[in-house]
Amino acid sequence: MINNFNNPIRIFSWSIIFLTFAFLINNILNFWYNFPGVDRFFANYNIFFENNKELTTIEFYKSWLQFLIYIIAILVSFAYVNLYNKVEIEKDSEYLSNFSAYIIRSCFWGVLIIGIVDMILSFLRVEDFLIPLFGESLGMNLGKSAFRGTFIHFPLMILAFIIGYFTRTLGFFWLAFLVVIAEFQIVVARFIFSYEQTFMGDLVRFWYGSLFLFASSYALIKEGHVRVDILYTNFSERGKAWSNLLGSLLLGIPICATILLRGMWCQQCILNAPIKSFEQSMSGYGMQVKYIMAGFLAIYALTMLIQFTSFFMNNSSKLLKTDPS
Amino acid sequence: METVFLLILILTMIIALASGFPVAFSLPGSAVLTILLAALAGYLFAGNASEYFHQDGPIQWLSAGITNFRAVYWEVERDTLIAIPLFIFMGIMLQRSKIAEDLLVTMGQLFGPIPGGLGTSVIFVGALLAATTGIVGATVVAMGLISLPAMLRNNYDKSLASGIVCSSGTLGQIIPPSIVLIILADQLASASDVANTARQAEYKLFTGEFSMPGAFSVSSTSAGDMFLGAFFPGLVLVGLYMIYVLVYARIKPSVAPPVPYDGNYDFGFTKKVFLSLVPPLTLIFIVLGSIILGIATVNQAGAIGAVGATIMGGYRLYEGKKHAYTPSIIAVLSIIAIYFLINNFDLRVKDITSNNDVIGITLAGIAVAALTFSVFWSFYRTLIIDETLKGVAIETCVTTSMVFIILVGAAMLTAAFRGFGGEELVTEFLTGLPGGFWTQFIVVMAVIFILGFFLDFIEIAVVVVPIIAPILLAQTDANVTAVWLGVMIGVNMQTSFLTPPFGFSLFYLRGVAPKTVSTIQIWKGAIAFIVLQLVGLGIVGYYPSLVNYLPYRTYLTSEVSPPPKNPRLQECLEEYKFELYENNEDKIKNGINNLTSINLNYLPQENKDFLKNTFSNATLTFELVENIKKTQTILNEYSKEYRPLHLSVRKMQKKLFKIDNKIKKLEKEKKYLERENLINKVNKMQNQIDSLNNEKNIILEKIPSNWEKDHGEYNKIAMENRKAITTYRRNVDSVYENIQTTKLIITDRHKLNDIDNQIINLRELIINESKDDGVNRIKSLEKNLNNIAGTEAIKEKLSKARRILKKEDADINKINLLIIEANEIYSLEKIWREKAEKELLPQLNNFDNSIKNTIGLRLQEKLTKEQAKYVAACRSIHKDISLNF
Repeated sequence: MINNFNNPIRIFSWSIIFLTFAFLINNILNFWYNFPGVDRFFANYNIFFENNKELTTIEFYKSWLQFLIYIIAILVSFAYVNLYNKVEIEKDSEYLSNFSAYIIRSCFWGVLIIGIVDMILSFLRVEDFLIPLFGESLGMNLGKSAFRGTFIHFPLMILAFIIGYFTRTLGFFWLAFLVVIAEFQIVVARFIFSYEQTFMGDLVRFWYGSLFLFASSYALIKEGHVRVDILYTNFSERGKAWSNLLGSLLLGIPICATILLRGMWCQQCILNAPIKSFEQSMSGYGMQVKYIMAGFLAIYALTMLIQFTSFFMNNSSKLLKTDPS
Repeated sequence: METVFLLILILTMIIALASGFPVAFSLPGSAVLTILLAALAGYLFAGNASEYFHQDGPIQWLSAGITNFRAVYWEVERDTLIAIPLFIFMGIMLQRSKIAEDLLVTMGQLFGPIPGGLGTSVIFVGALLAATTGIVGATVVAMGLISLPAMLRNNYDKSLASGIVCSSGTLGQIIPPSIVLIILADQLASASDVANTARQAEYKLFTGEFSMPGAFSVSSTSAGDMFLGAFFPGLVLVGLYMIYVLVYARIKPSVAPPVPYDGNYDFGFTKKVFLSLVPPLTLIFIVLGSIILGIATVNQAGAIGAVGATIMGGYRLYEGKKHAYTPSIIAVLSIIAIYFLINNFDLRVKDITSNNDVIGITLAGIAVAALTFSVFWSFYRTLIIDETLKGVAIETCVTTSMVFIILVGAAMLTAAFRGFGGEELVTEFLTGLPGGFWTQFIVVMAVIFILGFFLDFIEIAVVVVPIIAPILLAQTDANVTAVWLGVMIGVNMQTSFLTPPFGFSLFYLRGVAPKTVSTIQIWKGAIAFIVLQLVGLGIVGYYPSLVNYLPYRTYLTSEVSPPPKNPRLQECLEEYKFELYENNEDKIKNGINNLTSINLNYLPQENKDFLKNTFSNATLTFELVENIKKTQTILNEYSKEYRPLHLSVRKMQKKLFKIDNKIKKLEKEKKYLERENLINKVNKMQNQIDSLNNEKNIILEKIPSNWEKDHGEYNKIAMENRKAITTYRRNVDSVYENIQTTKLIITDRHKLNDIDNQIINLRELIINESKDDGVNRIKSLEKNLNNIAGTEAIKEKLSKARRILKKEDADINKINLLIIEANEIYSLEKIWREKAEKELLPQLNNFDNSIKNTIGLRLQEKLTKEQAKYVAACRSIHKDISLNF
């Protein structure tokens, strides 16, 4: 049954998703390609922000472009819903859920491959094997996090997203196994061979951080996140759906949006700063993946935002389908 | 205004939680919502988004929230949290591979024939294995499904049976290895940092001194400490439970009848008992033991536990098939081989020095390869049979994620709570209560008890503990340790979960218990255990040593133990030493007398005086100790009457200080407004300032008139005592140091011989050399002398000679004279030191040995085991230090 509320809800939900991606694209434009940003666009017309620096002509067009990205995002959601106007909300919710699972799966492959590769490189580095193996210039470069990030990690991430596309496993749960193995490796190396290096602990931390952040969206679908169910258990189906719907809209999505917005608002904000500077851990000889760990939080916020939107759609469809009486 | 938003925050949180939306998002979600609301309201009604915040603005608090969020996995200090997924993995693996169930069943068969035996088995297993999930609901449900039917089938009283299940399900939460303890430790560690800063500020405020002595700092905690601290209290509770069940079964046999075992007690049964009891118990003991003995960190122990559980799962799932035990046998054999190799070879890969090392490392490599092989074989088995590994991994991830997302979410909530001044309100309320620490403590415990009706362990640990723990820990009148506070909170929550009508545990058991068991029966069964809990809480509260002793002992006997000079240990060490002084007074005095009667005439005057002086100082020790005791008694006598006055006045002064700060802030704002010419607001502000000043005057009048005098008197007496202590410490240190110096001077005699050539022929050598070479030669000789004790006089002469030699018109005669003088001293030194080595040194060594534990204790490198035990026992009792503030 396609109801009056069907398509408005779909448009609303898809706009959330597309606007989020528009924000991410703009963030990359702002801080990697020196675009002026939409805030400067508004400032130019003295809306919301004070105009404290005039835009140059080229910046003016760039800011218009960035503003248009948001407009396009909204238009795309209208266009999409109009194009597929017979699709039920539930189906859309499933698409989103699958999409979130795809991101998680690819990220899992990413942390798996990058973790192993970077650990090997860090081991070679700390034992001074890099230069004999790879020659002076490449060996030196592999010791720098910016080089490693650009030429090792990024290609591997792209590879991971390709693998993620062609595989169907949940993926992330293997991280539990990996954390156990990585910590056990420390036990063996330390107690038997008295060998302990920073990169070993870094590997555990790398995988454990991804473990609980990546598992969160799956836990949401599988009812893994505990509820205070003193009242909840006695709710009717509709009551439960209302609780979930309002919760996702008023609590869940704002949290994720806050993380993304506050973390990426400025150059020095806690998501942008470490990623842009390829931050590595304090003790220079560990793994050089700390900046990726900052990215985990963004991945968490993004996948949870998608999942909450999906959850929102799913529960609204439940409400639309069941009779109020 | 901010209080309104604080209320809105709490209200939103209550509504969000009550609506049943996942806790992990309700907590941060309501924080984000309220912050945005306050910012919007501020922007609309006051033109300033930060207007309705206690301090800072919405942007700062949101950023703080996100930073807190990230900190969980970003900061190295919080690494112990990694243990959580590891222990969860271990627990779920033990459950899913049916090892936990086997343990329960076999224990039941073994102890069943005793009245109440089955019940005690359930308690024992529950306590051991329930710890790893951290969710009361999950544990009680699991226990309820397995053990409740078993007990009911065997005609156990329904109330007793359900009481046992409920209580042992919650009991596991505070018995290590438990993830709740890890979380509590994580929260308490940061809380004690905050508390310490507060205490330092207070110290500075009241005493005017800049830095607080280390002895007064708040003792922090770690996951390992928390495990150790909860160990004895856990045992006490398990013991109480078991005794209760056994005694009750004796008195009224019908409630817990013996359960006869149908099979024979034959070899097969013995084998079964062995196989299902020994491996899991060994694993638990290895995991706990390695933490308790300080060998492994909590994380490493967790990894050992997870891998060990998998190896067991590997054979349990394969039961009855061929090669079922092969991987585990390989694992055990390779571990034995590794143990042998560690003891017989130097296996440090970074430090290969001989062929022997290479052989050892190669063999160890083979053993490790075998171990790895068996581990992966076991993992492979658990993967292929029913996808157990996959199930375990998924459940581990989901549970871990649930725990951590709550943890990080609560961090956001705490940020908002602070933003709206909630923390200050709570502090003001608690510190405003009459009485000291104990009133605050009881109020807090009552609040936690009530919260326990609605929230689970983890939520309380992450929401309430960060707010109240700093306040309680900063209190100087009880000066409790963070570990003790954590254990008390843990036991308290546990009791709360058992209490009808809301108790979590009862609620969950109701869900899985058969219909034949009525709710009233469940409630009735819980009551006895609540009483036991309260008894346990009382015992732990009254004997803090139960909690504190083990962590201190492990710390003080570990490799990283502090040296005896550490200021935190002094009080206890002195107690220890004073006992020894009293008991061994004659012995030590005789030792000193013997020394004084030695012939020292052959020593150079300087050394002789030095030693004589030292001996007479050593005799002084007893007098100084007496002096400390005397001043201490005076101080104690005076403190008795003085204490109430001190505490009440300090409280008033704290209030005054706060009022002063408020006035300062208002004055500043007033000035700003005056410049803007906002007369209305200025007047309003002036009124506020006036009323604050009034309040201040009222408090000032309340301070008793004898305060100044009495406080001055107290300071004088305390100063006397402190002076006595410092004099004593300086004296014993100098005595022991001097003995060591003398010993060194004597034993360095051999080094003197080594420079024979250089010094005896110095004159001739220099004459034949250029000036520069000569100067350099003397310089190198001086350098050598630097390494030899007691050669300052020789060096002085040589330096003089060198300086003359350097000059343009060097006077050769003077140089010669100086070198001859140096040689003279040199040969004298050699002679007396040789003699002293034979006569004096053994005596000094004897003396050194006899005062190692007393006069010289402060300067030892490490505490002996006996001393560490004494100090641990002494420090594990909480001491009131409030008069020092």
